[in-house]
Order: sequence, then structure tokens, then C-alpha cells
Amino acid sequence: MRKLLILPFLLGILSADNGILDIKWPKPNLKHQKPSTPYPKVLIEGIKDVKLPVYIPNSYAYIKNMIVVADKNFYTISFPFKGATVTISGDRTYQESVSNKQEFNAILKATPPVSFEQEEGIMTAEFNRNGVNYSMEIECDKPQTDERCTDTKLIKELYNRLIMVGGHP
Amino acid sequence: MRTLLIIPFVLFFSACTQEQPKPNKPQTEEEKKFTFSPAGQLTPAKSGQGRNGDNYIYAPGIRFPIESAPAYLNSQVYGIGGLYGAKGSLCNEKNYQYPWHDNYCEKRRWGMPLCSGGKGHQGVDIRTATCEKKKYYAVAVEDGTITYIGKYTVKLRGKSGRTYRYLHLDSPSVLVKRGAKVNRGDRLGLVSNNMGSTKTSIHLHFDMKETIKIDGKSTKVYVPPYTSLVDAYKRLLRGNP
Repeated sequence: MRKLLILPFLLGILSADNGILDIKWPKPNLKHQKPSTPYPKVLIEGIKDVKLPVYIPNSYAYIKNMIVVADKNFYTISFPFKGATVTISGDRTYQESVSNKQEFNAILKATPPVSFEQEEGIMTAEFNRNGVNYSMEIECDKPQTDERCTDTKLIKELYNRLIMVGGHP
Repeated sequence: MRTLLIIPFVLFFSACTQEQPKPNKPQTEEEKKFTFSPAGQLTPAKSGQGRNGDNYIYAPGIRFPIESAPAYLNSQVYGIGGLYGAKGSLCNEKNYQYPWHDNYCEKRRWGMPLCSGGKGHQGVDIRTATCEKKKYYAVAVEDGTITYIGKYTVKLRGKSGRTYRYLHLDSPSVLVKRGAKVNRGDRLGLVSNNMGSTKTSIHLHFDMKETIKIDGKSTKVYVPPYTSLVDAYKRLLRGNP
């Protein structure tokens, strides 16, 4: 009988608690989502199924050689530049609900709305918007000397120029 | 009567909880040799404070990210020949032996919410069987999509939604393209010492990022890979990766 009680308890701990985050959809900005000059086909087609707000830096929206990898749950858009690649990605899924709430609540409290830093030579911005977690990265061919990867100036600029270009509930 | 009704259920659940008989397969030489230090115990001690006692397997059932054994999980920075390690060659044989040593949360200058002090290494470094670059393949740890390939980075978003990052692969050897669907165990590229123009040793940096939900809020963090990799490596050595 003890086993009967133990089994559901164990399953409760071991079951992966994953799912979809609750998204707080922003008010649509038609100027950004349906601009007078249409966005390139690669972007329109690439994000047509995405079910989370799709943000990219405004100045990059018309770059035709961007690479879009997406499905309904996530998107990753890369913009290749000379000697570097800029990437932005968002994901509406979660993989874990933690049992040690104390630690993770402390982490949530300590997490700034946006952080900028270089890790493994890659300049990174992490932020949560509309309840979704996003990251933007710049990877340089010369990570130790290329200012785009040693200074936060560019990534901050890109972050400040993010616009929502698509995604739907 | 109640007892009569309960008995079949007890027997059923009892059968479910009984340990399955282990296949009668003798241990391989590599299995006999394999040892590992506890999760979170960083070596040397000066290399930082790990997550002692965190034995949770964050990515259960993943395949080991290097195609073949042996592989040696230990510090590049504090190992022999490393930036803060003992003097000697990076290819010193002591770098290529068991036990494994966790190096998640090893001292770094960038933010890492799950590490003591909020900073540290976001993944683990793994050396291949020998100190030779472009010889051993990194493979997909689960079914998924290749979302990004950079100068020295390959990213796989698994079906689980977890993102796995493989650093330092030899760029020309990368066999996948952005957007490619891959299966668990598919070859991605050869392990090397590629970090653009920056020097590094021959190794695979492997990390796992996932979103954790707490009371309606969420955060995306690099989670400890060590226990998942110990588990995956044991399966690889068993011949059942």
C-alpha cells in the first residue's frame, strides 16, 4: 500500500512540467506591423506561423539576406554582417517549474528587465517582454578586438530600436 | 470486499515499481574505468564554487554530445596548460583521464543567475578521446532544429524547447544548415579549437538553456548540464546512447 502512495508522489516530481507561457499581447502598431513598404518575403513568410510577438531592430527589417528559423513556438532571425552575425530570438515555451522556489524567486527578483554582457566572446542582451523571454546576440569573427563584441554600445542601440514586426495570438 | 478490490491494484502498482532486471551484459573496460566527481565539486578549489548537491537531471534522456567515448569533462582554464592552470601542454595526458570534474559555474566574469555570486561558466567543457582537432564528431543530443550557426557556435533547439549550444566546432566541418531538422545522434561537426581569432584549447563547450516558470513569471537560464551528461555518458558506454 505504501507503494501506491509513493508512486504518484514520484511521478509528480519526475514529470517534466513544461508548457506555453502566458503572453500579454501589446497593442498593435500598424506602422510597424503593416508598413507602407512591405517587409521582405523572407521575413513575412518566415514568421507567418509564429505565435509570440516578433521583435527585430527596426533598421534590420528590410535586410533581404536575413535567415529566419521559426515555428509557432519560437523564432530566431540572423543578420549576417561583415565579420559578425546579429541574432535575435524569442520562445514562448517553458521547460521547468522549479521546486526550490526560494532560490528562483530570488533570481527573478534580482534579474534586471534587460542585461547586456559579453560571454564566451559573444555580446548578449537578455530581456523579458510581454511575458516572453528574448535574447539578442552579436558573434564576431574577432571577438577580442571587434568593438561590436567588446563594447555594449551597438547591442544597446539595437535593443533600443526593437520593433514588433509580427506574430499573432 | 474493499480489500478484495484493492488487491489487484496493489499487485499492479507493485509490479510497476519493481526494478526491471538488468540485462546481463558485462561491463566494458571503459565502463570499469569511468569515474566522476560529484556535481558542483569544482577542481581545483580555486576555480570557483559550483552547485554542490544539485543532482537534478535537467535534460533527462539526452544523448551524449560527442559521438564516441572516451571523453573527458574537466576544466580548460584551470587544467594543465590552461590560462590559470599548471604549466604544461594542453595535450598533457592528465587532461585526458578520469575522473570527470564539473566545471559549470567555474569562475568567469559574466552573469550566471544559478551560480554562487551570480557569475560563472554557463556550461561545461569536454575534451575528446585524444588531443587531436577535427577528428571527433559532436552530435545532436535530441531531435530538434538547428537555429543558428555562427563563426564558432552551433545552436540546436530541441523538441523539448531547450536550447543546446555547441562551441568551438571546426566551421568547414559543420554538416548542418540553419533551419535543418536533426535527429538525436546526427552529426553536427568536428570538435576543434575554433573561437574566431581567439585562442582556445581543443574541446567542446556545451551548454543548455531553458525557461523556468515560477508563479506566472519566467526566466531563461543556463542550467547545470553535468548530471545529464554523466547519465548520457553511462548510456553511451553501455552501448545504448
